[in-house]
Amino acid sequence: MVKQLLIVLIIFYTSSTSASVYKNNCLKCHQDLPVSIDKYFYRYLLKHSSQTNVKKAMKDYLLNPTKNKTIMPEAFINRFGVKNKSKLSKKQLDIALDIYWQTYKVSNKLK
Amino acid sequence: MLVLKNSVIDLRQSEKKTLFGFFSLYITLCVVILIFVSFIYFKFQKDFMLGQKRITLQNYSNEFIIQLKHLHVNFDKTKLYPRDKRFNTAIYDSDKKLIFSTLKSTKTKLDNIIYTTNKKIHFIKEPESYYLGARYVIIEINEDQNWLYSMQKHIFIITASGLIFMLIIGYFLLRLFLKPMRDALHLLDRFIKDTTHELNTPISAIVANIEMIDTTNLDEKTANKIKRIDIGAKTVSNIYQDLTYLTLNNKIMSQNENINLSDILHQRIDYFTTLADVKKIKFIKDIQNDLYLTMDVKKLSKLIDNLISNAIKYNKINGSIKVSLKPNLIIIEDSGIGIKKEQIALLFDRYSRFDKTVGGFGIGLNIVSMICKEYDLKINIDSQLNIGTKVEIKW
Repeated sequence: MVKQLLIVLIIFYTSSTSASVYKNNCLKCHQDLPVSIDKYFYRYLLKHSSQTNVKKAMKDYLLNPTKNKTIMPEAFINRFGVKNKSKLSKKQLDIALDIYWQTYKVSNKLK
Repeated sequence: MLVLKNSVIDLRQSEKKTLFGFFSLYITLCVVILIFVSFIYFKFQKDFMLGQKRITLQNYSNEFIIQLKHLHVNFDKTKLYPRDKRFNTAIYDSDKKLIFSTLKSTKTKLDNIIYTTNKKIHFIKEPESYYLGARYVIIEINEDQNWLYSMQKHIFIITASGLIFMLIIGYFLLRLFLKPMRDALHLLDRFIKDTTHELNTPISAIVANIEMIDTTNLDEKTANKIKRIDIGAKTVSNIYQDLTYLTLNNKIMSQNENINLSDILHQRIDYFTTLADVKKIKFIKDIQNDLYLTMDVKKLSKLIDNLISNAIKYNKINGSIKVSLKPNLIIIEDSGIGIKKEQIALLFDRYSRFDKTVGGFGIGLNIVSMICKEYDLKINIDSQLNIGTKVEIKW
């Protein structure tokens, strides 16, 4: 009984930690921007199509953001500039991007 | 085969096999060629049909991509996938993973542009931008089955006509190939006919005159000479009769009567005794009396003569020939050189000879076979090399 309770607790802790990575490091900043976070997702989707390619492009940009790599229009960059390099580790980035993909992917939303 | 139908010439089994093999190969080759041509024709017609549909599908895909773009832009407001009564669609991402589909046929080939699957036509279009992540857009419409029925009809008519044409060509080719063989066989038959015709008078004269000589009044030396002439004359007479039978076989009407088999067998053994004496061959008789068979007497004599003649010809010096007559069975068994098992099946072929050290044309057993066939007699040959040959005639 104690063992089962421990497993449930570990799972709950891990998922809450994962969710907090995305919540604290992504959503927190994007809430203050005039463009909502889902718009970025659809721009990436428009250019990179699949889950693998989208995540790869996002991770590449977040680790080393440059003007050339951005998918946002020039006017947007001119106004808000290129974002700062992410302080998250690669592992944390993967977790955050997984949550981001699962939240906004289109395949399970189409009717 | 067909060309020799009305001739006295009969093709040998091996030649028939060769011709059958050639014809089978020819037909197979024709069928393969026709299937290949039909396939090419089908592919061509299918491509033509798809080419005609392609313009329509291109227009449908453009319309659908516009709707997809609209959905991508307004995805936060609506999630309703665009649908159209005229066609079904599906979208796949760049990893070829399905995003959404309304297709009836789920068997897709994303590397093709246009293809048919399960009575549907699929057209693949890659949009310039991947709206909703869609790198591949599939447009599906129903395949018009009319062209397929029309195609099947055309192919059937073309294939059937082609096959008939090829068969006619094959028939003439076969005639062409048969001609040298037929000419050679005609030549041989004509030679035999001419020879037998020329032999008739001298053989009749020799046999008649020998029969008239009273050997009891002659000295032993002259009697032996006459005996040898008698043997020679009988041998030639036997060959002459065989050849006559063979060349005139189709024209002789059988005069069937109830024959006493025991009498005929004794008579034919007596006839061959002088011939058998040369090789010191003894006849062992096991002949039951008063057994009858309805047959033409000349043909029965020919049958027995040929079997006894062979038993003498292929026997050893001091050998024996056992002649048995039982109800519905005649057995002629020799103590001769025997024949190989694989050669038994070829024994009845005309001009087949396995031992060329003894004389003959290889027509004796062919005649036996023809007579047996005419009277529905079953012939069975059992032979062991250097032990002997046993021939059974059953009815």
